[in-house]
Amino acid sequence: MSGEAGDLRARQPKAIHSALTVLEEVARCGAGVTARQVSDNLALPRATTYRLLNLLVQDEYLVRMPDLRGFALGRKVAELAKLVAPSRPPEAVRLIVTDLRERIRGGVHLVRYDRDGLAVIDPDPDFPPTLAAAGSRPLHESAMGRLLLAEQRSPAVTEVQELGFARQFDAVSPGSGCLAVPIRDRDGTLVAALCLAAPRARIEQPGEHLVLLRQAALTLAPLLA
Amino acid sequence: MHKSALERAIENPQPVAGIQSRSPVDGLDRRSVGFIDVLSQSVSAVAPSAAATTMPLLVATVAGGATVWALGAAMLLALLVATTVNQFTRRIAATGSLYTFVAHGLGTTASFVTGTALLIGYGFVAMFALGGAGYYLAILAARLWPALTGSLSVPVFLILAMAAACLVLLARGIRVSTRATVLVECVSVVIILALVVALLVVQGPALDWSVLDMSGVRPSDFAVGAALALTAFVGFESSATLGVEARRPYATIPRAVTWTVIGSGVLYLLAALSQLVGFASVGGSITASASPVNDLAAAYGIDALGLLLDVSIAASFLACAIASITALVRVLFSMGREGLLPSAFGQSHRRHRTPFVAIVVTVPVLTAGLIGTILVTGSVWRAMEIFIVGAAGGYIAAYVLACVAAPVFLWRIGELTPWPLVRAGVAAVLLSAVLVVYMAVESGSARFAGVWVFLAVMLLGTVFAVIRRVRRPWLRDTVGIYDVPVSADVLGTALAEDRAAP
Repeated sequence: MSGEAGDLRARQPKAIHSALTVLEEVARCGAGVTARQVSDNLALPRATTYRLLNLLVQDEYLVRMPDLRGFALGRKVAELAKLVAPSRPPEAVRLIVTDLRERIRGGVHLVRYDRDGLAVIDPDPDFPPTLAAAGSRPLHESAMGRLLLAEQRSPAVTEVQELGFARQFDAVSPGSGCLAVPIRDRDGTLVAALCLAAPRARIEQPGEHLVLLRQAALTLAPLLA
Repeated sequence: MHKSALERAIENPQPVAGIQSRSPVDGLDRRSVGFIDVLSQSVSAVAPSAAATTMPLLVATVAGGATVWALGAAMLLALLVATTVNQFTRRIAATGSLYTFVAHGLGTTASFVTGTALLIGYGFVAMFALGGAGYYLAILAARLWPALTGSLSVPVFLILAMAAACLVLLARGIRVSTRATVLVECVSVVIILALVVALLVVQGPALDWSVLDMSGVRPSDFAVGAALALTAFVGFESSATLGVEARRPYATIPRAVTWTVIGSGVLYLLAALSQLVGFASVGGSITASASPVNDLAAAYGIDALGLLLDVSIAASFLACAIASITALVRVLFSMGREGLLPSAFGQSHRRHRTPFVAIVVTVPVLTAGLIGTILVTGSVWRAMEIFIVGAAGGYIAAYVLACVAAPVFLWRIGELTPWPLVRAGVAAVLLSAVLVVYMAVESGSARFAGVWVFLAVMLLGTVFAVIRRVRRPWLRDTVGIYDVPVSADVLGTALAEDRAAP
């Protein structure tokens, strides 16, 4: 297996590898990084770096910023992003979630589960999910992730079975937490979840909010399954 | 799980500051023409088929046995200039071509000089080519109706008709005009190539290679020959004026510039070789001939080809006129947007998305200038000679400034490396020498008027621009506009817009 991977790498032209490294470095440094900075950060020869950057600009993976010095990720990357970005849920679903947001104080996100894991398909525009909550961290650190772990019968998250929902405090940012109410199809398979991000106290005593979330989850189930 | 920076950027695009939703050169048909259109712009501005029939004679007159070598040297120098100009075209997409580029290397004053030189180059070549098309069509008309021979009103009438056609084509849209020129240019190049092949085939395997013999050629003759030959390449950079309208401009424009030089260079070498070999084997001399290809065709008994040749040269000239005016109006458009010229020049047609006002002003002015010069000199050919000398001077002066500006620009944006510096330096020195040699040679020839007209217009244009700059000090901040990425081109702003859409 490792031999195969090594073989593959050995056959790839070094230039492609370098070009991707340059692209990655622009992504890492953020918009406005200059050619010289990229060259210094990667310890690549100047002329090579400049040639690769100009090639990536030609193919529109990068754009040259209006100051002519800096670079940013371009339209081609945006097109790739559209391919992998989760598709927007239907309007019937968005109306229900919007209605819920008007009645609940806190961030309400709709999450979809599939074979590849989880994806936030309708983030709260007023309280955008943080990177960590949106699934870039280990699953057990977010409520939406813990729901998925419970579905996979992980021993770490037994309370989800008892409560009927998943929750988490302080893991993402101190003093706040989130809870995730499952949305299941008729067979009981987990297809989606409604997540509430709010101060820790409201997650500990969700009260009325939990009722609203559960009602909405039941309404959404036939639309998402 | 470790995620790469690229994955994170795609998942959660960060907003990018300083990206507007419209470009400062908004109004043209942005990102609408492909590589073929961009290439045809440069090729047509060079007019290789017209140059391939006339240039070998001009070079042979001064360089003798070194003709082919001088053409080769000119091609190498043109390539050197092309790669230096491409330092800009890979980084800036603009409509002002070298005028805009120099502004980013050497500042506004040098940019005004370049702009004037470039406008002379494009404008004079446009008049030269329009005159040439009229001249060759008039010869054709005289062949068909001998009664028309020698009349000056025939070419003048033809020029007026063609100018009207140019006006309509240019105003209708960039795609219409580049498609028209590519068709015209392809036809004429095919005809020229057919002639070259026919000459070489008739010649058979026993080619007379003595035409490449350099012995007995003085170095100064070689230098003058190369300087003259370089004028056959000027115009190759004109696709840089399509920076806004080209799709993937940072890829297509540098490619078009380089391949125009290589393609036309190979055509010139083939044409020169076939003409020299042809004359050597019939025992004549190319320099004794007024129209070498016609004479050769007659000598080999393919007289009918002469007719075809006149059509193809006229077509090539017409394409050259269209391409040169296309480039010229885009430089004027840029100057109008910046405030150097009245802002009307920066207006575009709402439906056709072309620099409409600049076109409507330019075409009549050029036509009037051409016809006026024809009437004053009393001959179309004499007028053409004045224009071509002025145009070559304008182009080469603009190239010199661009070659000086390129390393400064690269240094300013922190991307200077040794090789571009060396290439730009060598090109600048050689080009300056060519400019001086060319001007010296021409001022001693029958075409001396062209040199004086060139110098006078250069002076007038530069003085106008400098006065304008004193009156409008803010020009320092506006000159050099170029196309900047708009929000749809950048990740982050592009996705944000997408989500905001209903």
